Formats: sequence, C-alpha cells, structure tokens
Amino acid sequence: MITVALAKGALLKHSVRRFAAAGLDFSALLDADNRQLRVPSACGRASGLLVRNADVPVYVAYGQAQLGVVGYDVLQEHQLPVAQLVDLGFGGCRMAVAVKASSGYRQAADLPPHCRVASKFTRCAEAFFADLDLPVELIHLTGSVELGPMTGMSEAIVDLVATGRTLKENGLVAIDDLFNSTARLIGHPLALRLDEGALQALVDRVAAAGSPPAAPLP
Amino acid sequence: MALQPAAGARDLNPLEVDGNRRLRERLAAVYRLWGYQEVAPPSIERLDTLEAGGAIDDREVVRLVSDEPLGLRPEMTASIARAASTRLAGRPRPLRLWANGTTFRSFIGDAGSQRVQEQLQSGVELLGVASAAADAELLRLLLACTEALGLEAHHQPRLLLGHHGVLSALLERVPCAQRTAARQALTGFDPLALEALPLEAADRQALQQLMRLRGEPTAVLYQLEQLLGPVGLVQDLGAVLSCLAPTAERLGVAVQLDPSFQPHFDLYDGLVLKLVCRGDAAPVEIASGGRYDALVGRFGGRPAAGVGFSFQIEEVRELLGADSEPHRSSAPVLVAYGEPALLGAALDQLQQLHGEGQMAELLSEPCPSQVEAEALAAERGASSSLWLAA
Repeated sequence: MITVALAKGALLKHSVRRFAAAGLDFSALLDADNRQLRVPSACGRASGLLVRNADVPVYVAYGQAQLGVVGYDVLQEHQLPVAQLVDLGFGGCRMAVAVKASSGYRQAADLPPHCRVASKFTRCAEAFFADLDLPVELIHLTGSVELGPMTGMSEAIVDLVATGRTLKENGLVAIDDLFNSTARLIGHPLALRLDEGALQALVDRVAAAGSPPAAPLP
Repeated sequence: MALQPAAGARDLNPLEVDGNRRLRERLAAVYRLWGYQEVAPPSIERLDTLEAGGAIDDREVVRLVSDEPLGLRPEMTASIARAASTRLAGRPRPLRLWANGTTFRSFIGDAGSQRVQEQLQSGVELLGVASAAADAELLRLLLACTEALGLEAHHQPRLLLGHHGVLSALLERVPCAQRTAARQALTGFDPLALEALPLEAADRQALQQLMRLRGEPTAVLYQLEQLLGPVGLVQDLGAVLSCLAPTAERLGVAVQLDPSFQPHFDLYDGLVLKLVCRGDAAPVEIASGGRYDALVGRFGGRPAAGVGFSFQIEEVRELLGADSEPHRSSAPVLVAYGEPALLGAALDQLQQLHGEGQMAELLSEPCPSQVEAEALAAERGASSSLWLAA
C-alpha cells in the first residue's frame, strides 16, 4: 500500500487535486469536519497522512510515507535525504531578504557586517549570507518575522514572499531573492529503488496530470 | 549527575544482548564454514584511515580529544583493509577475514547537538581477489547468511545490486565537466537535478532513462548490453548474477539490479550491495557492502582487491523480533538456604549443579521456607528452586 504525506495549509487543496487527477482521491482530507490524520484514498489502495509542512520530508525520509508533497523552501531548510521527483508548479513563492522600506538598503550586500537577521529559515539564511561573505547574527523566530525590523530587533529578515502584501502593509520591502519555491513531489529513495513499478507509475501520473511547471510568480 | 547514556548511545538489557549474541554466532558459524578467520580491528584509528581517502565524510566520524587526530570507527572495512595490507601483508592471498564489533557514527540531532549512533556489526572481508569470482563468493555467502538467520518469505528480503564501474561506463557519454553532477543526481535519485544540468537533449534523455533502469537482473543486463556493447564489466556481472540466481530463488530473496544505486559510504568502486527487508512500517536495511579495490590500494595492499559486507545486528534482531526470543530452558535454578550458617552448603550445592552443566544462581539472603523460595524463584524467572534446611 502506498502512503502519501500531504502538507496542511495552502498546498493541501492543490495536492489533493493533483493526486485526484492521478487516480488517488484524498478529498476526505479537505472536508472541514475531518479530524482524521490518516485517511484511505477513495479506492482503498493508498492512504494519505495529514502533517505539518516541515514534517512531510521527515515522514518520507523515515520511509513511513513513500511519497509526499511539500514546498522547495522546506526541503532547502531541512536538508533531509529524500528524492525530489516532480516540480508540481503550484504554491509559488520566493525566499527573500526584506528590510524596512525607510532603511535605504537596496541589496543584501549593503547590510552592515554583523547586523541581526531574523528568520524562520535560518539554515537557508546562513547559507545565503555565507555565499555573500557577509557575517550576520541570525535570530530564529517561528512566525511574524516582519516584527523583527519593525521593533528594531533586527536590520533584516529572510522569509517567504508570495504576494508581497504582508511586507508592504508592515512597511517592509524585499531587496534580494534567495530562490524561487514551488511544491515538489518527493519520495523515499530506497522505496523508489525497490519499487516494482506501481510507485513510479503513480509518480508519472502525478507528473503528467499537471500543467507544465511554469509557476506564475507575483 | 547524568543518569542517561550519552546522546544517541544505548543501554542494552540482557535479553537484547542475548539476542544479539545468538545472531552473531549464527553468522560466525557460516563465516567459519566458508573458511573465514576472525580478526578484531581496533575501535580507535587515525582519522586518515577512517576517512578512507575522503570516502567517508569527516562530520560522520566521532573524533577523540588526543595528541594526534584519532576517531572511533564508523565502519570496519577500512581498519581491516589496513591490517590486511600491513601486518597481514605476508599471508597468502586470498585472505578471508570476519569481524564483529561496534561502529560509531556522529550526526547532528534535531536539537542541534552532536549525537553518536552506536551500531553492532558483523561482517566479512575477502581480500586479494580481483576477479569476479570474489563477487560471486561474497553474494553466495550473503545468501547463506540470510538462510542461517532464518529470514522468511514474509520478511520479503530483497537484494539491491549496483556496480560503480558500470555506472561510470554509462556516464562516459556525458561531458567531463558534468559527470560528477550527473552521477550525484543519479545516485541521489534526483530527476529534477538531472533536468537542470546543462546537457545535450540526447544525453539528458539517456540519463533520464538510466535513472529508471532497474529491476529483474536478466532484463537489466540486456539493457546494459544494448547501451554499452559486449564489455567485460557487464559480462562479468552477468556471470556473477547467474551464480546467484538459483540460490536466491530457493531462499525467496528477490534480486534487483539497479545500476544507479550507491550505498551511503563512498568506499566502493565495483559491485555494491544492500540487503533490505520489509519491516513493520518501513523498509529495513540489514546488510550492505561491495568491492573496494582502491581502498586496499591506498594502504599499499597487493593485489589491490577487496570485497566485503556487514550485517547490522540490531536491525536483524528487531526485524526477527519474537522469532529470536531465548528458550525457557536457559533459566537458572535458584538455590536458597534457611539460615545464615547454611551459606557454605548452599555454595557447595551451587558448585555441584554447575559441575553438572546446570545453570544455577544463589539467593543471597536466607529464606525462611521452601514455599517462599519457590515464590521468589517464580518472581525472578528461575526454572525451579532448591531450598536447603538445617
């Protein structure tokens, strides 16, 4: 039986739709009254796990789920041994460095050395500033990171930007992009190597069911 | 004072230790039958030996605080290859050695601090045979081990085989500059990275097909011959697989040939293998190994040839679970005595039972009655009790 880990939140609706097009119906997960964390597909041949975004690659890396759907940003941040199989195209956003609009910084390299940078994605941020050769002090936050520059705790933030509305409404502006992110179909490498065809066939159907991964970015 | 074992390390209880010991003995009996001799490589080695010329990431090695750079072994092959190429250099080849012991691997836990994973391994190394005969012997020995361990059809044992040389030959069509990245994408099962490589369309398509090339050996070998022509490597691999197939079939071990498969440690430069079973919730890797000629060469071994595998004992024990529970007959007799003056007599009785080959243990306090001695024996899991009265 194939188990698929699906991320709660913004990606869920698209993920369910994509799997439905590939022949696995997990629409029970979209039901507002649903409290079950593991649901069988309508055909009974697979099951879906409803987990938090960052936990999707964990279930896949440990082999409890053979497949999963999660954003590229999460994969970059957590660096777990999973196979990235298909760029699903939806859930488009970008990982960006943002500062107060009034700060005058035009790019990340303008930031003063040893300044504070707040982020939920500290590993991505660390790699980015290391590439820039700019020593910074990273502060790990778990949400509402925009408050970092607003309260004066940090000069900048590294965060996901989808429409840019939250930044704008809080007086911040994005000055550099780390990478673009879209949802990815991921798999357990060993399960894929031991597969007798069923898993790869499902991967191919999921890949074929989508429009080409030309994610319109805001 | 900390009352827990160090991060990642484990305490084993007597039942677990007993289970591990019996699995190791079953494997050792097979190794001995095949003419392998036991060696005991050191737990501590120089870092340059352990890292095996960059094959093992130094972040995975547990380092020691010492005057020279030392670490705990993350696997045993490098140590045995070193010993075989130095102290045992004068011994005639082939050299058949087996060893068991603990390996240590360092990793960063989710909490951000260093953790050490201890693993009990048992494995063999066959040194000095450059031909495919050693590969065939190794795989047949591995199958003999799976039989001795008692793996059954419901464990769904599957032998995953790859070949470093065959993969290199397949990658020769890729321009030099992209070869390393292409290999990483294939071995890491990363079709998106493959798509992003700056390659000619035909090359990219060939690599994408290669990423899907795996399955039943005969069909995959046919494909490999179509791609590479009648090269020695593929013919040798075919010969090895034909030596393996009937036994694998008899034992219910499915063989999967997967040219882009590479194990975790980059020690190997020929045949590579991994034995995977179906666990309760996820696949369980119970053994891995392969050919490591270059590693032997690094230590100056001549001929520079070696193959080996190792079993993860703990994984096997957990997989076999209840099948490997100890027998009830291994419980001791509890020897009890009624009053302090009888301690000497009780010890004599104990010694007499031991002389008869009977396991027996002493109840260390005087016990007022036979009934109470029996109750205590039952509580301790002893097979029976023997109560001495004045």
